[in-house]
Amino acid sequence: MYSKNTELKNVSGLHARPASEFVSMAKTFESKVTVRRLDDEAAQPANAKSIIKILAQGLSVGTPIEIVADGPDEQEAVEKLFELVESKFGED
Amino acid sequence: MRILKGNPVSRGIALGKVYIYRAFKADVHESYFEAGKEDEYYKKFKDAVATAEKELATIVTSMSAESPEKAKIFTAHTEILMDEEVDEGVKEMIYESRAMPDYAVDEIFTDFANLLEKAKDPLIAARAADLRDVRNRVLRILKGEKESNLANLRENVIVVAHDLLPSDTATMDRNRVMGVITEIGGATSHTAILTRSYKIPSLLGVTDAVQIMKNGDNIVLDALAGKVLLDPEKEVIKEYQEKLVEFIKEERETSEYLDKIPLVASGERYSIGLNVGDTEPEDGYKYVDFVGLFRTEFLYMGSEYMPTEQEQFEAYKKVLANAMGNPVTLRTLDIGGDKTLRYMALPKEDNPFLGNRALRLCLDHMDMFKTQLRAALRASAFGEMKIMFPMVGTIDDIQAANAVVAAVKKELKAEGHAFDEKINVGIMIEVPSIGVIADLAAKEVDFASVGTNDLTQYLHAVDRMNPSITKYYQSISPSMLRILGRIFSDFNKAGKPISVCGELAGDDIGAVVLFGLGLRKFSMNAANIGRVKRTLSLFTLEETKEIASKAQNMSTEAEVIEFVKAEIEKRNL
Repeated sequence: MYSKNTELKNVSGLHARPASEFVSMAKTFESKVTVRRLDDEAAQPANAKSIIKILAQGLSVGTPIEIVADGPDEQEAVEKLFELVESKFGED
Repeated sequence: MRILKGNPVSRGIALGKVYIYRAFKADVHESYFEAGKEDEYYKKFKDAVATAEKELATIVTSMSAESPEKAKIFTAHTEILMDEEVDEGVKEMIYESRAMPDYAVDEIFTDFANLLEKAKDPLIAARAADLRDVRNRVLRILKGEKESNLANLRENVIVVAHDLLPSDTATMDRNRVMGVITEIGGATSHTAILTRSYKIPSLLGVTDAVQIMKNGDNIVLDALAGKVLLDPEKEVIKEYQEKLVEFIKEERETSEYLDKIPLVASGERYSIGLNVGDTEPEDGYKYVDFVGLFRTEFLYMGSEYMPTEQEQFEAYKKVLANAMGNPVTLRTLDIGGDKTLRYMALPKEDNPFLGNRALRLCLDHMDMFKTQLRAALRASAFGEMKIMFPMVGTIDDIQAANAVVAAVKKELKAEGHAFDEKINVGIMIEVPSIGVIADLAAKEVDFASVGTNDLTQYLHAVDRMNPSITKYYQSISPSMLRILGRIFSDFNKAGKPISVCGELAGDDIGAVVLFGLGLRKFSMNAANIGRVKRTLSLFTLEETKEIASKAQNMSTEAEVIEFVKAEIEKRNL
């Protein structure tokens, strides 16, 4: 198990194009990957390979999140997704 | 032979077979199968998903060249379809509860749609509609029904539907659809505007059309007189074949006027403008002096997210390039009322046409408004761009909008972006309250354009989407002519350009009267250019003035129409 915390920095948050980029990248890894929002105690980890579950999290700009992966390529998965969030998905 | 009546919104005649178009309606009940058939039913589901994936891929491929924005919607549908949580959910229901595949699909998608709908972010909540759309696709395939859209027609047909959604018309095969008949919609509805620009004869507001007609029925669509003839006799068909030939001949004659210089009989020059609503290059650009109305809604309505500044900038640049150096008047976002956005949940209003729409909405959503203005201003470095605000009711509105333009200009300058610092900024005149103080408005703006459709709607208090009151929608009534005459003279006096970009400018009768009232800038769909140039060439300035002043003093719209029509026919002989 490997995890990292970050915060969404792109204006449109994790929906539409950014959400689908995030999910597409998660799908390239074998490990089980989840995202959990840290500002809500009751929030359950959401399957990062499911566009529906990711959208349902309602992750907007400024939301703190934890990216967790468990499996053979867990570290790489978390680092790559972390970088994608940091890059603001190419938004200005 | 039975005759149905309707409102002809796009002129023409069509003879042919009926194609009933209805969106698939899912009818699912809670049902289970006996033990032992789990694999069989799961495979059924997987096969349906595979078929759906193929259908979506075909749509995406066929659309991505012509309209990449629209293709994106279907790419998003594919993602939802292939979501592993959907697969797991359905699989579990089939193997654990022995739920029939259609029941399982309905349950899982509906659960997820409800989940998304609860999201606080309206953009996410709006995605629930996509889930339901994909669910319907899978359910339809499970039921063994073929895909029903207007993209893959095998023969020439006359489409009959309750209503056509923008997504239906977006995928419509223009080469196969010879005519359109719908049960609802008025002259300025989406379907009307689209069929006119495609030159497809259409008749809207035909009550119970879908119930009365059947697939394959032979009909005559007379979108000149406003009727549909069911099961026509041989003589009638023959008569209409002749009428069709005549109509085509007449169209050809008016098309000869397309590239003539717009002059009235006494030699006065006026200007013809084009109304456009997308970035497609079209022939109309060749025959006009300006683009009087560039609607920008397509960028927002065809997208699954708020269009970015860069996307808008590219689109605006493209239209400037299409205009080949002629000025382009960009109308800022005009939604609310009959147009809504899939990713922006707007509160439901009892009276959307009197609600928070167009400029009002933009002033309420400053980020969205500024993004559009930034894109428009940046594009102004690449051609003559003008900016125009819709739904202006007061001088306050103008000042508020102008202040945002000034702020955006300052931002762009600080960031070092190039733009036209002297860009012209103007308004649509479509709310009577601004029309009656046109003299004051003229001091605040560089130009104005009258939207006669909305002006009629608001002046006459007639919901233009309501087919039962179309007779009250009188766009050339004496009241309209009086307020228009005043607006034109106020602007002409102030030396500020005034144009009309509503339907009235592209109408024969309207154009003659408007010219007489002092209008010299007429903006219209490409389909009307030849006809208007030809009609106006038959009149001298003095004659139009006399006609206009007589018309303003008539008591009813019917009298105006009858009188001007006779004047045109007299000269047509």
